[in-house]
Amino acid sequence: MKTRLPDHGPVEAPRFWRTLEERVETPEARQAAHDEFLPGAVPAYDDVHGLPPQSGVSRRDFLGLVSAAAALAATVGCDRKGQGTVVPYTKRPVEVTPGVANYYASAFQEGRRVYPVLVKTREGRPIHLTGNDEHPGVRGKTSPRAMADVLRLYDPDRLRAPKAEGRTLGWTEAEARLHGALQAAKAAGKPVLLLSGAVVSPTRKALLADLKAALPTLEHLAYEPAAGDAAEEAARASYGQSVAIQPRLAKAKVILSLGADFLNGEDPETLAAWGAQRRLKSAKEPINRLWVLEGPLTLTGTNADHRYPVAPSRLAALAFTLARELAAKGLPLPAGANLSALPGGAPADVPTQAWASLVKDLQHAGRNAVVLCGAQMPAAAHQAAHLLNAMLGSEAVALSPAEPLATTRDLEAAVQGMAAGRYAAAIFWDVNPAFTYARAAAWKEAVAKVPLRTWIGLMEDETAAQCQLVLPENHWLESWGDYATPGATVLQQPTVGTLYDTRQGEDVLLGLLKALGSAPAADYHTYLRARWEKAVLQGGTFEQALHDGLVKVEAKTAALAFRGASVASAERAAKGAEGFELVLFPGFAPHDGRHANNSWLQETPDPISKMTWDNPVAVSVQDAQALGIQEGDFVTLTLEGTTLRLPAVIQPGQAKGVLALALGYGRTTGGVAKGVGANAYPLLGLDPATANVRPGARLAKAGGRKELSRTQSHHRMEGRDIVRSLTMDEFLHHPQGHHHQPELVTLYEEQKFPDHKWGMVIDLAACVGCSACVVACQSENNVPVVGPEQVAKGREMHWIRIDRYYEGELENPKVVHQPMLCQHCDSAPCENVCPVNATNHSPDGLNQMAYNRCVGTRYCANNCPYKVRRFNFLEYTAYKTEPETLAYNPEVTVRPRGVMEKCSFCVQRINDVKIRAKGEGRSILDGEVTTACMAGCPSDAIVFGDLKDPKSRIAQLVTATRAYKVLEEVGAKPAITYLADLKNPVEGGHHAN
Amino acid sequence: MHPFDRAFRFVLPAAAVAILVTILSVGWLTEPDRFAKGYAPEQPIPFSHQLHAGTLRMQCQYCHSGVDKSRHAGIPSVDLCMGCHKVTKADRPAIQKLARIAQTGEPLPWQRVHTLPDHVFFDHRPHVNAGIACQSCHGEVQTMKVITREMGMRMGNCLACHRDPHAALPAGSKITRGAEHCAACHR
Repeated sequence: MKTRLPDHGPVEAPRFWRTLEERVETPEARQAAHDEFLPGAVPAYDDVHGLPPQSGVSRRDFLGLVSAAAALAATVGCDRKGQGTVVPYTKRPVEVTPGVANYYASAFQEGRRVYPVLVKTREGRPIHLTGNDEHPGVRGKTSPRAMADVLRLYDPDRLRAPKAEGRTLGWTEAEARLHGALQAAKAAGKPVLLLSGAVVSPTRKALLADLKAALPTLEHLAYEPAAGDAAEEAARASYGQSVAIQPRLAKAKVILSLGADFLNGEDPETLAAWGAQRRLKSAKEPINRLWVLEGPLTLTGTNADHRYPVAPSRLAALAFTLARELAAKGLPLPAGANLSALPGGAPADVPTQAWASLVKDLQHAGRNAVVLCGAQMPAAAHQAAHLLNAMLGSEAVALSPAEPLATTRDLEAAVQGMAAGRYAAAIFWDVNPAFTYARAAAWKEAVAKVPLRTWIGLMEDETAAQCQLVLPENHWLESWGDYATPGATVLQQPTVGTLYDTRQGEDVLLGLLKALGSAPAADYHTYLRARWEKAVLQGGTFEQALHDGLVKVEAKTAALAFRGASVASAERAAKGAEGFELVLFPGFAPHDGRHANNSWLQETPDPISKMTWDNPVAVSVQDAQALGIQEGDFVTLTLEGTTLRLPAVIQPGQAKGVLALALGYGRTTGGVAKGVGANAYPLLGLDPATANVRPGARLAKAGGRKELSRTQSHHRMEGRDIVRSLTMDEFLHHPQGHHHQPELVTLYEEQKFPDHKWGMVIDLAACVGCSACVVACQSENNVPVVGPEQVAKGREMHWIRIDRYYEGELENPKVVHQPMLCQHCDSAPCENVCPVNATNHSPDGLNQMAYNRCVGTRYCANNCPYKVRRFNFLEYTAYKTEPETLAYNPEVTVRPRGVMEKCSFCVQRINDVKIRAKGEGRSILDGEVTTACMAGCPSDAIVFGDLKDPKSRIAQLVTATRAYKVLEEVGAKPAITYLADLKNPVEGGHHAN
Repeated sequence: MHPFDRAFRFVLPAAAVAILVTILSVGWLTEPDRFAKGYAPEQPIPFSHQLHAGTLRMQCQYCHSGVDKSRHAGIPSVDLCMGCHKVTKADRPAIQKLARIAQTGEPLPWQRVHTLPDHVFFDHRPHVNAGIACQSCHGEVQTMKVITREMGMRMGNCLACHRDPHAALPAGSKITRGAEHCAACHR
């Protein structure tokens, strides 16, 4: 499919569009909308795709006949004897009843962020994660990557025993070697380097302090490549120390984002606050307004009420200008802020009227306004944001002191130290600097000069390959730990015994402490418990803390004094060289690279580009046109002598002159990660203030094209009235707009629902598109992963997808996200056409799918107006063995090749609640049945419930003024009601305060 | 290729195979419990339900305690057996074997007698809670020296009872039908 961009404004472009092909209406896009399956999915003698006809029985038909015969024969064998063995427990743990799930509270750390989670275990195996609802911040929600991390526990690539120079050895031998080297280092007084991830755990911090006391030459660096060096640098300049910045959106009326992607699913607390304000029922409720200035289009940008594409290097200057204008309107300018060097006049990047509205909006909102800056943006932009928040006196942001993180500058010093032979030994604990450090060659050379290099981690990575001693670590679901979070100290407990001969990193350090002559505890569990009893529990019991997963503490709000900011730094950031400005950001799936081996995440489409399994460079529409680049074209990206060859995608809404590229791809180790995408870390800058925003990048067509594994062009619905988006003005005055209730005529008898009628409401105004529901569903329903080649053929298996619709101009479109899943229609078109009645309707309103009856005709998928049915074209599951199979939910069938599948409304959960309620002699309570997507949705956009219960939350919601059904005119009578998206722009430039 | 040629080389053999397969299948299908009934494999411990459930009148749920809490009735853990057998008949070779298993923790592989395909999610809870006796499906277990399969575990047998359950239900039960929709058992 080739995309030709329109020269000037299309004649009659569709109002909503999803891909450039659709917008421009290429003949290929029109044909693809007409065909149900992409080429290759239908037999080769199909003439639609112009393939040569074949004679006789095709290979596929022959195999079909043979397998049909085999299937018939197997029907008889269904009731065979000799089904193996049942092995009972020797000693049954009192809390385990086989077949009943147990839930344990634990916690997951990613960078500085901590996710308190609830772990669902079956017969001792963790299988599904949700947020811990006892935690005052996250309230039962978590992030897509946290949910997907249960898969990493069962990753077959995990290291299973210690190794030295590639030889497997026992822990005793491995530890003897490590201890010997460090004892010698201590005696000689030579420095030892310890590189780890961020320290958020108070007990880990205490342990590191103990280690430092026992080994005074220890140099510890906490390094997080995705945390943003610039944010750390700016915090030190503005507040004199490292600071964790947590938005408090519940208190925000006006939000200005300077390239901040705070709605990207990483922060469930912020998403919950966002959703709470956006799920509007009436005009009386407060709703916030989001202004976004950013270069690449982020998920936050897609949810903006006003968004202006601006090069990231310009953000600081814009924000400082904003500060000057607010100061002119009487807001106090803190001492230390120096705006004198600022050029006069309003900036040219934003239209004058919009700029005036923004200034007025911020001024009016005052304490209820907040300015947030993206971690990857230049340090000067961060400082300008700090200044603006100080001027506004913003209550919508909480600052708390944090443990410092090492920046590239600290790392560079360590590299020079290693190269000079300063260190006697180095320990790399759960970090992968050989991959994430920009100067990989220099790193390799320097690290080779350290006499003993030890690596502690889960899966052998690029750094492990450079170390002599490689020690396998527990997964966090096998480990103890704790974390300091605002409002609670969170406890992490193991939910499964160690699968392999592994230890947690803290236990390795404790062993080291013992060898160095200090013995605080026999193991980390004892150490942690002793510390908790002394410092954390405060009268409560450890057992209670284990149950709750936390101990609540008073949220500390330290008044951090703003020290000032200078415009001079903004000029340094803006000093643009020729060429493109390249923005490097952590990838949605791999984050900094640590999740790259997780196939669930690799196959979850990027929320904006809808790319899977790759990190193409995103080019703005204008630049693509100027350079003649089309989607999927290979390009060469050159920056300071480093050249990458990678495919390009054209990103509507991206600022002209800006390129965006995700980090974390291009790993060289790992069965899943290896060779997926290109490694962008070599392009990272060494100056911490602007490490992720690099001027002077060059882009050229490299020749050749790549077939993109992109999902948004799949499953089209041919431009009908599918998404609705209202402005506040429209919502107040014409909530139904020009849509009128279609008259529905049907030939079919009305369905009867004697007891329950399950339904769902999805609020598009609250949905930000973060894809947490996609991952939650994948984990709950054993949805298979198919790989990039199959995704490119349109064969992805996700039961729920998020359709991303653009509206308006190519250069800066508005965006609506719409979760799309089986609509469980009362008059389901799929049911009527199934020749074997494998899909039909249940008396409680479910469109049920019997896999064992399905023969794979695919008529149902062809007849589904919502395009939500998924066919197992190939065998995606049968080859799987332990440990991978341990991640399955035992309550859901693992589907074989040749059957159709789709969302079941998590029928296993419905049945379980039904049976339990019946056993207890009561009716089902509202909210008792939750689908995985609903439980996983951080902004509470999805509500599931019984439509027959007039008091249920869902029964109230379906009558909302914003309610509509997708393709209602088809007459399928879907059980899912959508609430129209809501945007809150400034109307006509004046304020409705 | 000549049409006759094709007919003889492909269509005819294919048709013959299809007919044969149909006949065989229908033959087997009309005799549904052929494989199932009377299956009584040798178990690693010669446990007698006749003695425990019959003579000693032990409640089924004393050992199969999951039956009203879980989908699975469950096989009792070895330590439950040892609760009595630490003292009772401790001199028997089978009990000595059991004691050894309890001590070493080695697996005790009972041969599975009742089984369902992977796509069937039978749930004991609603059946037991409705007052249906275990014997309705599992046969007169209390008379079996060696546990023997009595019922063919086929969908027809499930549905027959779900459509007319009064024989299995206790007198006075208000239940008139069981669930018949697919998702009740298949998901």
